[in-house]
Amino acid sequence: MTSADNPSETTNWLAPGRAHQSKAAILAVIANLIWPLQAWIVAYAIGGLLTGGDVAALPLVLGFVGLGAVRAVLGMRSEAIAEVAAIRIIRDARAHIVKREAGRAGDSTFGGAGSISALAGEKLDLLAPFITRYAPARARVMVVPLVILAIAFSQSWAVGVIFLISGPLIPVFMALVGMAAKDASRSQMAEVGTLNDLLIERLSALVDIRLLGAGDAVLSGFEAQARGLRERTMAVLRVAFLSSTVLELFAAIGVAMVAVYVGFSLLGALEFGAWGGPISPQAGIFLLLLAPEFYQPLRDLASAWHDKASADAVLEDLDAWDATQTPELMGQGGSAARLDGPASVSLRGCVLHGGINVGDIDINAGETVAVMGASGTGKTSTLRLIAGLLEPASGDVTVAGQPLTSQIADAWRTRIGWMPQAPHFLNASLRHNITLGHGDDPMPALQQAAIADVVAALPQGLNTRLGETGGGLSGGEARRITLARAIYGKPDLILADEPTADLDAKTAAAVTDGLLAQAANGTMLIVATHDATLAAKMDRTIWIGAAT
Amino acid sequence: MTDLWTIFRIIAREQRVALRRGAVLSFVVLAMGAALLGLSGWFITAAATAGLAGAGAVFDVFRPSAGVRFLALGRAAARYGERILTHDATLRALEVLRVRLLGGLMVAPYPRMIRIRGAQALNRLTADIDALDGVSLRLVLPIVAGFLAQIVAFLMILWLVTLQIALWIFVGYIVGAAVIFWRTTRRTARLSRRAEAAAQAFRTRLIDLIGARRDLAVQGQLVVQTDSVLDADTRRLALQIQQDRYDRFAGGAFQMLGTVVAGGALWLGITLVQSGHIAPPFAALGFFAALALLETIMPLRRAASDLGRMQEAARRVSRDIAAPPSEPIARADSEGALDVTDAAINRPMSDASILNNLNFTVAKGETVALTGASGSGKSTLLLSIAGLHPLAAGQIALGGLAIPDWDENALRTHIALLPQRSALMRGTVAGALRLAAPHASNAMLWKVLEAVQLAKLCKKRDGLDTKTGARGDGLSGGEARRLVLARVLLRRPNLLLLDEPTEGLDSDTAKSVLDGVRLILPDAAILMASHRDIETQFADRVIEL
Repeated sequence: MTSADNPSETTNWLAPGRAHQSKAAILAVIANLIWPLQAWIVAYAIGGLLTGGDVAALPLVLGFVGLGAVRAVLGMRSEAIAEVAAIRIIRDARAHIVKREAGRAGDSTFGGAGSISALAGEKLDLLAPFITRYAPARARVMVVPLVILAIAFSQSWAVGVIFLISGPLIPVFMALVGMAAKDASRSQMAEVGTLNDLLIERLSALVDIRLLGAGDAVLSGFEAQARGLRERTMAVLRVAFLSSTVLELFAAIGVAMVAVYVGFSLLGALEFGAWGGPISPQAGIFLLLLAPEFYQPLRDLASAWHDKASADAVLEDLDAWDATQTPELMGQGGSAARLDGPASVSLRGCVLHGGINVGDIDINAGETVAVMGASGTGKTSTLRLIAGLLEPASGDVTVAGQPLTSQIADAWRTRIGWMPQAPHFLNASLRHNITLGHGDDPMPALQQAAIADVVAALPQGLNTRLGETGGGLSGGEARRITLARAIYGKPDLILADEPTADLDAKTAAAVTDGLLAQAANGTMLIVATHDATLAAKMDRTIWIGAAT
Repeated sequence: MTDLWTIFRIIAREQRVALRRGAVLSFVVLAMGAALLGLSGWFITAAATAGLAGAGAVFDVFRPSAGVRFLALGRAAARYGERILTHDATLRALEVLRVRLLGGLMVAPYPRMIRIRGAQALNRLTADIDALDGVSLRLVLPIVAGFLAQIVAFLMILWLVTLQIALWIFVGYIVGAAVIFWRTTRRTARLSRRAEAAAQAFRTRLIDLIGARRDLAVQGQLVVQTDSVLDADTRRLALQIQQDRYDRFAGGAFQMLGTVVAGGALWLGITLVQSGHIAPPFAALGFFAALALLETIMPLRRAASDLGRMQEAARRVSRDIAAPPSEPIARADSEGALDVTDAAINRPMSDASILNNLNFTVAKGETVALTGASGSGKSTLLLSIAGLHPLAAGQIALGGLAIPDWDENALRTHIALLPQRSALMRGTVAGALRLAAPHASNAMLWKVLEAVQLAKLCKKRDGLDTKTGARGDGLSGGEARRLVLARVLLRRPNLLLLDEPTEGLDSDTAKSVLDGVRLILPDAAILMASHRDIETQFADRVIEL
């Protein structure tokens, strides 16, 4: 559970803005305390008119407006500082999420890319209203009503008693409502998350849905979910509106009671409540002007309370995300100077975190090797061990004659061409997806991968943007693009994960030829595969997870 | 602005009555608020006057004090009603908008549809639509209600106090608020557009980072990608700081406007009392009303800072929403043949011609293979027949009725297309199949699985509950390909269009699958784009493009 009651857990996320938050709160309090002065000026002026005193209109009005200006400036200042706090907190949390996600070697159990980007994006934004409004409102509640109460008592004990009775009821009620609000927000937040992951899938499958004539069914399903979300949102709002209405009611009754009491006293109908004689018109007007301001901080806190409820839900989500543990990537995944030494690989007694033993493997520079074994025996993991994407639970990986550590992982990877089984294409041009910003011409690599013609035939050629999984190309074409990408960097070794899986014989042959052409240049080739035809073309085959 | 208006018209059409009631209640809230403070001020001052004059006994205290109580309670009640009513109405309208937006995406042109990135489309369906709730809640309703309240207040003050004070308050607030609103939005609109673009860039890049993290790491691009994600956020926060500043200025300016108008009303009141034109209680009434009327313009602060974001969202959403469903143009119940007459086809999204003067027919029960080099237009022709790509010239007709004249639903029952790529959603085999035929029996599902040679595999795993999933988990690529073929067969079409149906299958499986397809649909016309001998050998006839 994460809330202000339990600061040890929230400190994490909110700490970067703490100093600014207190400064903002102090300024907000000072700004609020200017109103009694303005009220006194108005009361003095109208009271003076009534008693026939000599009222100098202009200085009084200028004083009123001048104090108002000070109040506005202080208010803006306080907001500015609170916004700095919000920006720092959100920026730090976001950077934390992005960096940690970049350093993960596997997917987190928290959710897909959609859920995580929703958390880092719009959900974190929900912290801002909480940061900019809640702390200043809480500070105002602790000071302003007490000051006004004291002033009220100095003028009339009856008005003071009205405040004293109606005031404390508000926080009590608010706390009750706040608990309900938090439950409602949490369930709304969960609904938003699942809806997102579901929608992302549907949206990526729109063509299929249309072709299958399933559009209406999917739409009505979506309609039901959208309705569910609206109902949950309304449930949150209903609690929020009910509580603020009750607060307004207390405030309105309080103001009305003060007005009626003051009116009756001034008429002489009530003879109690003031100190030494009847209440003066000036004091009466002063009290009437103070009354709404007595309740205002409480109302502000009440509305900020709901910001707090949704912020608490977000913080819980953040903690849940933070708690998901995944293996860490070796190195930074950044650019580095090419690692020296022969492009050789040696695995000694490597055991994976799942307990799978991949045994001892030695591969020399320029060799072509097939890694074979039944599904789930760790073929893909072996490639990842060699690429430093995964650390073995025990055992040693030696590359280019030295132990593969985080320090040399990036330098080692500059020598690797990587061909994954299921590529994710970046939301950028095809050219960028192959070159990743390097200047060399991608055409030779595309030709070697036998895909240049297909690319040339695309409406926008190399400037085409593909869908995430290669939408716009067939499966075999997308595979050849990843081959071109692996070849493009002129690597010393290519790690290819099932390069011919799900391809017909012709395309498989094209991919195999592309790989072998690269090997003929002296590039080491390690393919994890089920494909016996491909394996037969390698120098040798390493069986893993087999004869044990 | 026209986009915002379009969106508001849709919202208003959906929820006319509720919004009208909401507008009336918002006005009532503001009017009662102003009346409450004005009446209280007058009451106290008048009571003081009477008390000072020793006329307390004859002063009518009950009506004003009852009025104060009525206004206080009535205002709170009206506010509750107004909030529930307008929020519920707006959320209902947005729900309709959301569904229409998804509907619009579903009938988008094919080249656009195939490149829709889940994350971006999701932005539109969630963040954009959410931003639009402000159109009615924070823009139109507050402005309408505030303006009405100002007019009524003007008339009341004119009647009770004097023209000068009424005019000062009315003109001061309306002109002042308009100027502040205009100046703020002029600056923030562009900022919000850029901030929104940065936010979307952040999202898309983060999704790329997470989706491609291993690839990026091996290529040494992970750090660059991480930096570009954080860059997008830095850019966004820098814009946010500027936006916040204008928002703050607007807030301060509205606050000052209230102080100046109230101060002016006080000054006018004092001078008019001193010159004997009005009695002190009415000067108090004017001042208190001026103070309370600040509430009519304060919502403009939120409206001004959100306007840019709303405009952007409205622009994107109004472009994508579908028109409300129209009557089908024609209904045909033809089982007849496919007729392609003098057809010419351009490359998707360009004017370059790829196919010309194409003439052929495919009869019931016939299997025809289309061959031709990559890029010769096989797939595009299939898309045209399925009604997803327009013809440049000529006609394609099914059962004598041109494809564009078919009603969408009827067309989909008659034609089924297996595209080159299909997405399988996370779920089970049964779930994936029932997307095509929600009411199909289990026996029917097994029958199509048998046809595509998947029955054995499913039996070995969890039967119809075997898991399917995106990207490598669950089924292999070839298995997934056969599952989507099975799904297409469940549609039992009269015309079956297959785009390289056996890609990725070994020859034996490919042969069995093609036989299975014919067995399930003995009478259907089958047209397939082929590049494998096994497919052309299976066909009755081959058309070379």
